[in-house]
Amino acid sequence: MTLAIDIVLSGLVLGGMYALFALGLTLQYGVARILNLSYGEFLIGAAFGTFHLYVGMSVSPILGLLVLLPLSFVLNWLFYQVVLIPLVRRAKDQGMLEVDSILATFGVLFVIQGVMTLTFGGQLHSYSYLSVPVTILGATLAANRLLAMLVAVLIGGGLYLLLTRTRTGTAVRAVSVNPMAAQLSGIDVRSVSALAFAAGGAIVAAGGVLVSMFLTFSAAMGVVFTMKALIVVIMGGVGNMLGALVAGLMLGVAETAVARLVDPGLTLAVTYALFLAALLWRPTGLLGRTTL
Amino acid sequence: MTRVAYLFAGVVVLILLAAFPLVASGYYLALAISLVYFTVLATAWALFSGPTHYITLCTAAFFGIGAYTAAVLAEVLPWAVILVVAALLAIAVALVVGLSTLRLSGIYFVIFTFGLSEMIRQLVAWYEVNIHGSVGRYIFIETTQQGIYWRLLALAVVVFAVGWLIGRSRLGLALRVIGADETVARHAGIDTTRAKLALFAVSSCFMALTGAIMAPRWTYIDPAISFNSLISFEVVIMALLGGAGVLWGPLVGAVPLVLLFEVLTANFPNHFSILLGLIFIVIVYFLPNGVAGLLEQRIPRLRAGIAGRMSKIGEKLVRHIWSKPAARTRQAFDATPVLTMSGLRKSFGGLVAADDVAFETRRGEILGLIGPNGSGKTTVLNLISGSLRPDKGDIRLNGVPLVGLPAHRIAQLGVARTFQLVRVLGSLSCVENVIAGLAFRSPALWGAEAVRAARALIERVDLTEKADVPAAQLTYIDQKRLELARALAIDPVILLLDEWLAGLNPKELEDGIAVIRRLRDEGVTIIMVEHMMDAIRSLCDRCVVMNAGRKIAEGPPSAVLADREVVHAYLGEGDA
Repeated sequence: MTLAIDIVLSGLVLGGMYALFALGLTLQYGVARILNLSYGEFLIGAAFGTFHLYVGMSVSPILGLLVLLPLSFVLNWLFYQVVLIPLVRRAKDQGMLEVDSILATFGVLFVIQGVMTLTFGGQLHSYSYLSVPVTILGATLAANRLLAMLVAVLIGGGLYLLLTRTRTGTAVRAVSVNPMAAQLSGIDVRSVSALAFAAGGAIVAAGGVLVSMFLTFSAAMGVVFTMKALIVVIMGGVGNMLGALVAGLMLGVAETAVARLVDPGLTLAVTYALFLAALLWRPTGLLGRTTL
Repeated sequence: MTRVAYLFAGVVVLILLAAFPLVASGYYLALAISLVYFTVLATAWALFSGPTHYITLCTAAFFGIGAYTAAVLAEVLPWAVILVVAALLAIAVALVVGLSTLRLSGIYFVIFTFGLSEMIRQLVAWYEVNIHGSVGRYIFIETTQQGIYWRLLALAVVVFAVGWLIGRSRLGLALRVIGADETVARHAGIDTTRAKLALFAVSSCFMALTGAIMAPRWTYIDPAISFNSLISFEVVIMALLGGAGVLWGPLVGAVPLVLLFEVLTANFPNHFSILLGLIFIVIVYFLPNGVAGLLEQRIPRLRAGIAGRMSKIGEKLVRHIWSKPAARTRQAFDATPVLTMSGLRKSFGGLVAADDVAFETRRGEILGLIGPNGSGKTTVLNLISGSLRPDKGDIRLNGVPLVGLPAHRIAQLGVARTFQLVRVLGSLSCVENVIAGLAFRSPALWGAEAVRAARALIERVDLTEKADVPAAQLTYIDQKRLELARALAIDPVILLLDEWLAGLNPKELEDGIAVIRRLRDEGVTIIMVEHMMDAIRSLCDRCVVMNAGRKIAEGPPSAVLADREVVHAYLGEGDA
């Protein structure tokens, strides 16, 4: 029984992280129409940043967040403006942009991964921050996981409010529904797309900071996180924030269950099993396709 | 040069390549092995991803499956059986990936392939540690570098032969049409899922065979070596550099890149992945169609056209891997009515686009389907042609029920359509566009017959002078003519025209009306959705009027256009 509660609690925390990653990806893919295969590299980059800030300079991860989140925002904004805009310009239709952006970001993935391996080495990294046990419903959870969860909820909730309550948020949602019509109503689609892409990058960096507090990571692990984020986005339905939350939590719990009960080395297989089920059962997403 | 001369040159080159290990060994032979094995992988990759633009990111998964199969079975089974098992395993995995993703949009496929090799690596590693009891394995297959080289060379010959045959078969054309416009492909009678699945399986099979042949080279193998995602990446780079659209493209890309990678790994082992990524980005930006694309642009003669390359033998050999020819029921051909619909309903969420629609079309008539914008006309055409599936109701063509059939089956049964926003296959010439309609109907036309029939159809819609021009270069009216010719190519029992006359200037409109009238005189049954009242008056025998998803009137044009409810629907209360 304690094991079950333990699995569910840890699973929900992990799943909350996945939902957060998916949220950022949905901004990049659903609004800027870029399928960014190098997405997870920014997560790992932020994790390394946190590691070195904390271990090297004793800057706490939460303070690190204040540095790394804006930094990733700027980097991703530049990434969109410099690297991706030429592709957006030359694309004759959305299909062509999709193929081109997949290829370009696939290349970027290897560049960033190479740079990180060179700078930080290929071995696994972890550090200990707030790893005091907290007991909830008879199960023990590390305080860092609770803190990560809390911050993720704040970021997700904040983003939701920004998207639904502000003028800019409305513009972002408009572009996600129909870029052409958004342009015709006077929205600068290119700058909104750049903004959404950058915001997605900021969110994944936040995710990287948060998971680094309780998971070990290495320079090669970005791909796995990208994969999980992509699958959560698809399971939830592209552009559907609530769907992403539900799908993320499902994945988190399922993965934790398999990791605890079978083998921690099989988490990606769980991801694929869920993906397969989603494809066969509800290819438009758990809650159907809606937009941001 | 004649064909015999080409063949002779090919054989000479092959003999020279096969003789290479007799003069070289050690480092140079190892390099030659790398060249051949990457050429096979990149060519196999481009077989599927080239024409369809479905990017496969999991070459390493299939390569690893092959390598691991060889490692596990080396001591138990003879070599030939190992190859068969590797191929079958790859086909099985390809079918799982393909069946779950290829019927959906391309993005699901790409995502699925993106993590696939990592997932299989995890599974294999788990199996090895927990069940087999050690991470890696030693491979005891008695073979030499020469042996590996010759096997790879033989595999390369096979992959090129298969690619050559596919390029000359209906399957090759099917994939090119799918790559250009999947919707058009379905309505031209192409079973798109089956075509994609077949070629993905063939391509995966070659990757696995390469892995199985390469396995002995390592002597020690573990999941991380065999499922190395760098291979997936290198293969995509090579295929794209050379140009994935033509058979020889990947070869052109593989040769310089294998040599370059050799230099890079030797001199910058730690920077390899960075340099690889940068090279790739440069290719994506500056050579999007590869060297082959660049050459084709400069020398149009090189353009890989379909018309001159259709081969009956190629088609016969390749047909078995995908196509099940559909027989069209001809016996009830004189039935009147040709098409009957009853109780058709289709809703999108809360919006009911078609509500209890029922009407029939008589043989040889032109039926006008009219009504204000948003009244459900195009929805009805989509229901008939199988783009959409009705929630309720029945559609029969000469008594054969159409509901539930996939679009390509409905097209093969003789339902042809044009699209509201004209859809031509821009990268293909006019003749090739029409051949796309001829090659997948039943009975299908192929080879010289198809070219002849295509030219005749092009003449029928007055496009003769532009027959060999790429469709993208046509004017709007000419694109509409071409789309009509492609629809006629499937020898339709019934032709659905969705605002085919819209957007034409008065002169073009006159020509367009003449073309349709001629079709009717030739006995084609037509349903046309149209807003041009003059055209409806002069062409239609009968009209069905729709409003808000329902049929509100039916009868001769003069009568329905005078109907109070119809006038009301078009002009509103005050003018009725």
